[in-house]
Amino acid sequence: MAAPNVRSISSFSRNISVVSSPQIPGLKSGPNGTAFISSGIRDLDRILGGGYPLGSLVMVMEDPEAPHHMDLLRTFMSQGLVNNQPLLYASPSKDPKGFLGTLPHPASSKEDKPTAPDPDQGESLRIAWQYRKYLENQKNAIDDYSNDFDMRKPLERQFLSGRPIDCVSLLDSSDLSIAQNHCATFLSKFPRNSSNIASIGRIAIQSFCSPLCEYSEKESDMLSFIRLLKSMLMVSNAVAIVTFPPSLLSPSSSKRLQHMADTLLSIKAIPDGDKELEKLLTGYKDINGFLNIHKVARINTQVPVILEAKTFSMSLKKRRFLALECLNQAPVDGSSGTSYGTSGSCSSKSGALDF
Amino acid sequence: MAESIFRKLRDGGEEGELAPALTIEETVASPFGLDVSGYLLTNLSSSILAGKSTSQGLVLITFSRSPSFYMQLLKQKGIVVSSSSKWIRILDCYTDPLGWIDQSSTSFSEGSSLIKLHKCVSDLKKLFSSIIEAGRDLVGAGKTRFCVAIDSVNELLRRSSMPLVSGLLTDLRSHAQISSVFWSLNTDLHQEKVTNALEYISTMKANLEPLCPSSDGQRNALENLFLVHQDFGKGRFHVRFKLRKGRVRVMSEEYHVDQSGIVFSPISSVDTVIAATKSLLPKVQFNLQLSEKERVEKEKVVLPFEHQDDGKSNEIYDGRRSLVDGKIETTPLSSMELQTDVVSSGKGGEIIYFRDSDDEHPDSDEDPDDDLDI
Repeated sequence: MAAPNVRSISSFSRNISVVSSPQIPGLKSGPNGTAFISSGIRDLDRILGGGYPLGSLVMVMEDPEAPHHMDLLRTFMSQGLVNNQPLLYASPSKDPKGFLGTLPHPASSKEDKPTAPDPDQGESLRIAWQYRKYLENQKNAIDDYSNDFDMRKPLERQFLSGRPIDCVSLLDSSDLSIAQNHCATFLSKFPRNSSNIASIGRIAIQSFCSPLCEYSEKESDMLSFIRLLKSMLMVSNAVAIVTFPPSLLSPSSSKRLQHMADTLLSIKAIPDGDKELEKLLTGYKDINGFLNIHKVARINTQVPVILEAKTFSMSLKKRRFLALECLNQAPVDGSSGTSYGTSGSCSSKSGALDF
Repeated sequence: MAESIFRKLRDGGEEGELAPALTIEETVASPFGLDVSGYLLTNLSSSILAGKSTSQGLVLITFSRSPSFYMQLLKQKGIVVSSSSKWIRILDCYTDPLGWIDQSSTSFSEGSSLIKLHKCVSDLKKLFSSIIEAGRDLVGAGKTRFCVAIDSVNELLRRSSMPLVSGLLTDLRSHAQISSVFWSLNTDLHQEKVTNALEYISTMKANLEPLCPSSDGQRNALENLFLVHQDFGKGRFHVRFKLRKGRVRVMSEEYHVDQSGIVFSPISSVDTVIAATKSLLPKVQFNLQLSEKERVEKEKVVLPFEHQDDGKSNEIYDGRRSLVDGKIETTPLSSMELQTDVVSSGKGGEIIYFRDSDDEHPDSDEDPDDDLDI
């Protein structure tokens, strides 16, 4: 059984430096000469080994029955705005700007952060534990790389006004040419030079194959658009996240799109009132859905990432903060209860629960 | 459950949200989508008439049946629809969907405000405006809302592409005056991605599953026919609700179609009893129960000191059939048997032990170390 561990998934973790690059806030250097930008969810950054690498294409497979891909998009976009990174957003709605009103605001540091261990517990009990100093060091690190977002609080105007945000509606044209032009002009602002990184861009495309779009029946057009996007990303300092519902495509096109992704995630809805699942998982009541990680981007290396756990539960801590946790199996006698700590520790048996 | 679907449709959506939408899926093996639509229609109509619903009117768009069929259906349930009914409008897309019949030759004087003939089905924008117009006819242009029921989208999909149809349905859902929408669909007529796309834009999905699984023509045809006949009108009705938090509620019940329409009943308790007993045992990774064979074998085992004073021969059953007869050849005794220390020859209480080394001749010149190869 893996020992309960607050910091990382396995007890052995590669020591990636946590110092962010001095020039650009929101950028972290990673192994093999790559640089990461934050996804907006701290747990996801940790799971992916730092964040989304620059120049990668992230694809999220939606579940038609659950809206959680929107949360991934929202945190991604908010993180970009907080770090002053230009944003391009495309969606199959008539007024994409409306979505900007639903972006979350970063949680203020004064409020209780869910992942920080409670220091007061030690005071009343006087536990002689020498490792407290290491944990506190980690907590106090000032972080301009990623933020915890309060999903109930809308993003303040200071982050939205005057920022370079470009919104495109995918319903505008019968084919993808307009979207393609927007992406091309956007990405031309962030060319990848050999030396320094001037600025970083973020692209978010929501529900790419929505049945409302006129091009949704032209699968080869959609595939070539994504291929073009990926090739443009490889030579720019930007990250694109594209969500699509795989059941709306033919199986071969869906497989091709999945293959084109550098990082592939998928969302799964959770049935409500399922007694079997309730007995099997702790914290069933708080879980909103499942996030599966199928592929993690690896740039400049042949070594793949092998995750200990591929399925995570998405829940809202204190109804505000998005948290991803390993699935914890309930104790064998079936009685529910948080037998494992609520500090986001992972337990074994996640392999048996591969949904 | 059909009751809960009906309640969701009756109550409509909240302010600022899209209207709830239901897709009823039928298959060739269970073609009762029409019965389910009829059930929902009658319930919605009676609730509108009784004033219990948030919507004040109902617009019905008929593609696969004529309007008179629906008037008959409602009449059977005790709801009379006449031309002066102020709560229902029927858009007739069944009689002449492509505009082939010359308009001047037909006379539709009876019920003309009730039933409106719609001619151009391929133009979905026009269909949308006709629906809104019919609805506004019923409830006015203010804030009062109305429901929309589409007989079946099979015909819509036949004539228009998927993006246009889903555009129409989403426009209906986002219109401020529409409180709920439902439509039915036959999944065997369309590709899977079309069905998936319609499920994508709806908030509730109901599907009808026949009781006996459809055959592939491999079973005996006669036996098949009998089963199909017997179970034709029965099956399972599954519903999936998309909840706001992102969860999915799945409910099932049984349905049964007869002369008066479709009847829903909760799932018969056969399956639930089995589930209950299974859950009494804790879920552990080892087996806590004995199978029948294991139980019989357990009974047969005689414990060491059970029959000691019996005077009978003490036969300890160790699972080998050869001992049941009671008579054993003692001569071919392998060393395996000897090492078990079991009384095997029926002599009662004796232990016979033959040492392996007795096989050797005494004072042999063999050096046991000769085998070693140093």
